[in-house]
Amino acid sequence: MSFWLRFNMFFRSFFLQAGWNFVKYQNLGFAFVMVPFLRKLYQYDPEMLPTVLVRYLETFNTHPVMASFCFGAMAKKEETVAKAHSITEYKEQVAEWNGARRGLSITAASIGDRLFWGTIKPLTLLLALFIWMLLGVNFFETSSLQSISYFTAFSAAIMAFLLYNAIALFVRWEGIKIGYDSDESSCFGLTRFDWNRTIYKAKRLGIFFSVGLILFGVYHYFGRIHVGLDFLARALLVLFFIIISFVTRRLRIPNIYLYLSAVVIFTAVCLF
Amino acid sequence: MTTTMILLSLFASVLELDVTYAFQTLISRPIIAGPLFGLCIGDVMAGVQIGIFVELLFIDISPLGGIIPPSGVVATALPIILYSLGIDLYFGFFLGVLAGIVYSLFDTLLRKTRFKWIVFLEAKIGKKPTDLWRIIGLSLLLSFLMTFIFLSAASWLGAQTVFLLLPYLKPKVHFAFQLAYMAVPWIGLATLIPTFRLKTR
Repeated sequence: MSFWLRFNMFFRSFFLQAGWNFVKYQNLGFAFVMVPFLRKLYQYDPEMLPTVLVRYLETFNTHPVMASFCFGAMAKKEETVAKAHSITEYKEQVAEWNGARRGLSITAASIGDRLFWGTIKPLTLLLALFIWMLLGVNFFETSSLQSISYFTAFSAAIMAFLLYNAIALFVRWEGIKIGYDSDESSCFGLTRFDWNRTIYKAKRLGIFFSVGLILFGVYHYFGRIHVGLDFLARALLVLFFIIISFVTRRLRIPNIYLYLSAVVIFTAVCLF
Repeated sequence: MTTTMILLSLFASVLELDVTYAFQTLISRPIIAGPLFGLCIGDVMAGVQIGIFVELLFIDISPLGGIIPPSGVVATALPIILYSLGIDLYFGFFLGVLAGIVYSLFDTLLRKTRFKWIVFLEAKIGKKPTDLWRIIGLSLLLSFLMTFIFLSAASWLGAQTVFLLLPYLKPKVHFAFQLAYMAVPWIGLATLIPTFRLKTR
């Protein structure tokens, strides 16, 4: 696969979810990403293109970053479909192509959801909070807003943005090549990385930042506070919400409903 | 409607595309969008605080499978727009969270409707693959317009409602909203930290 073709697919992969719908999910985006490759593959047989595109417009749903492995792998499989010498062989190859597409998209989605949504996104949030705390931003103070510089405001946000995108862009770019160069034996390159180990290490880093955030927060904000009635009332309220959020988490009730309930209950208590 | 309201709604509508439909660089995530919105109204700290609070509150809902989480961009933009009009952050935040939830319902509806015209267009794509560009563009434009109309309407309606009710609201109601607002980062942190439990091995 040439550099420009790979780049074209890489660029188009940013629009994978542009046509997201509830029946075939990312099918439109999948076809959109694969069109440059299909055009090149079927350049001497352009009448085949509409028939081939129908297959790409079938249901497709995976993680948008990890989808790059699917693009590379499906391109490789399409080459074998295109080389079929008989109708029977063609049907066999198409069936294999379909199986690979379904299997790979599910596996990639599972890894992507755990890695990007379940680990890297919370980790970068924690990193940003940690940096803001180090720079002296007191986001817990809600009664009056502190004055901060642009550097302080954006440094943490930019760090979170860069860290997430460094990983996501690497996976998007390399995934196409690895998927294309690999075969079924390595699950189209997915087994080349030890995803579980990566997630495990990222979570360990998350624990490190969590402990740091708690210790720094306690030292920074509670060290100078005079323990009076107001402080105790606030501390009790905070403790109450922490305990309640653990309970609602177990009951799988989202945080937003806990917050909305708090508004309603507090207003009712204050009024009556 | 003020110029700030329209400009911020336009900016937020562009950022909303990044959530699902284009790029997914996460520039739209509240901790990044918040300071950007804050910069637009000249108070970055308000943006930072709202950004952190929205992100922490929404941390337990991920876009897995077909789940459409409440919009973080709408929930961040609305309080900032209302704050620029002189409405307190704790009222704006409440309306922002509500708007974020309602927006996800509209988004669900849009995605359901989209399939109907995509089926119609699929036949065309087969004959002329270049039509894909047009369909992708149209899809993005529709999402952009929906966010812009929704956010402009929600900001206008939110501002009018708060200004109408404000003279009748007792100080106790302000206190209740402030208390719930104060609890948000603690609710979020109590959810965020357990996500790093080492159970993957």
